[in-house]
Amino acid sequence: MNLRFIEWIWHVRGSLALAPGQSNEQAFDRLEPLFGQSGTSHQRTHDTLTFEKRDQAAQDKMSVFDGGVLRIASDATGPVLRYHLISRALLFCFLAPLLFIALGQLTIELGKFEKPPAEAKAGSKDAKKDVVVPLNPVDKFLGAPAPEKPKKDDKDGGGRHKKATPTAAYVFAGIFAVLYVGGRILEDWLVRRLFRRSLLGA
Amino acid sequence: MEGIRVGNRIIGTQGPVTVGWENIPKVQGGPVKRFVFTWFQPFALFALLLFWYYAPNSIAKTSTAIGIGIGFKVLLMGLEWVNPRHESWRLTWKELATDLFYVGLGYTLLRIVDGYIGSDVAIKAIQEHWHWDKFAWFTGLPLLVQAFLISFIFDFAQYWMHRGMHNWYPLWLPHSVHHYITQLNVNKGAVGNPVELFLIGLGFGGFFDFVPRAFLLAGSIGLTIGIYQHINVRFDSPKWWRFLFNTTEHHSLHHSQDYEATRSNYSGAYIFIDRMFGTCIDGEAEMLGLENGRRMSIREQMTYPFTEGWKSIKARYGRAPTAVPAE
Repeated sequence: MNLRFIEWIWHVRGSLALAPGQSNEQAFDRLEPLFGQSGTSHQRTHDTLTFEKRDQAAQDKMSVFDGGVLRIASDATGPVLRYHLISRALLFCFLAPLLFIALGQLTIELGKFEKPPAEAKAGSKDAKKDVVVPLNPVDKFLGAPAPEKPKKDDKDGGGRHKKATPTAAYVFAGIFAVLYVGGRILEDWLVRRLFRRSLLGA
Repeated sequence: MEGIRVGNRIIGTQGPVTVGWENIPKVQGGPVKRFVFTWFQPFALFALLLFWYYAPNSIAKTSTAIGIGIGFKVLLMGLEWVNPRHESWRLTWKELATDLFYVGLGYTLLRIVDGYIGSDVAIKAIQEHWHWDKFAWFTGLPLLVQAFLISFIFDFAQYWMHRGMHNWYPLWLPHSVHHYITQLNVNKGAVGNPVELFLIGLGFGGFFDFVPRAFLLAGSIGLTIGIYQHINVRFDSPKWWRFLFNTTEHHSLHHSQDYEATRSNYSGAYIFIDRMFGTCIDGEAEMLGLENGRRMSIREQMTYPFTEGWKSIKARYGRAPTAVPAE
């Protein structure tokens, strides 16, 4: 299958012009400290730097990437650094909404097997439970609102025994969709800034 | 590395730690900033207690609590941005995505599992089997006492479960994953193997009956005390706060790279439980995580307890390799 049309999801590409008069050696010397992090291995040739990361620390500025290639080539305008970086984190974040939608569906499917609430079964017990406990005199004195008798159809009062709904799963599917878009733009911009600053020694 | 003697123990021989409040850096900045980061925690606690105490019944609902919980977490993430405890703990996109993945699992998968085999379900089954009703001993007590009891009963169970996890290998395996985090952020409490997250949520509070408003008050205690375990904000918490409640300082020591320091500060919200049982150490650490701070991928976090457990079983009960005689 040709992945070319979808690999932008987790592949970040870009190019940066080298500083005037900067040689390949000088450019890679400046970039190399970025690949001295724990869990990172890299190989360098005259015009190419290849790296791989494993269990990269949260503090690693390139932790979102698992591997990539940086190549210096000549352009009409002069030498240019071209990079191609791969991020599994971006791919998983892109796929995460599908997982949460599936969990939402699972909640619905499991709900179908649930027995209807045992209202009829335990009528007398419910009546006993519906008795409202009076407020403690201290709370009455301090002015706390007295508890109401719970309504039979009160969905919110179910507290800890409430039936599971798929809402949370769908909310998280939405959160991850937004997170992916934000991350794809942010990490692209951050890594470009990191390379530019490293190359210029700023 | 030279350690520091704390009681009978030597802390910090394997990883850098700071022991003693007097050695912990203070909030830097002007008087307003120092005031805010000294009184924010007590203010939030008492403001939410007052809110839930006096909120009319039409507002005092679980849905309101969920909304406040989300809003408060977003506010705390803002504080992490403004006044981080350690620059090296600054939240990145990848850490946020990882944390939210676990938060999402907590709201979905774990909730489904809890609905079938959680402690509340087990307790309900026990009650039905023995025809017990919930113990209604506490329902007549003042609301704030009930709220404290709910949170204390939960925290007490959590303390012993957590301590058990650090002392018994089968429980340590699922919990160890949580100790591979290399920085603390407000959502890091949700990061761990789902088996551990299920176990740490077990409690025996379901045996007792409380009035609904007490649960909302107890929830706000958890939200405004327990949440500071995993937060990257430098607070100058008042002395009484640090004496009673768990703080990010205590919990960072618990997550440090020093083995002996990790065997302290087990409670969730009430550090006085640790003080009661002699496991509290006042201090902090910046360098966190097992194996000198090796960050585990989500995939490994999911499988690690099982693969490690299998290796241990094989090493213990497996057939010893046959020696091949030398020619």
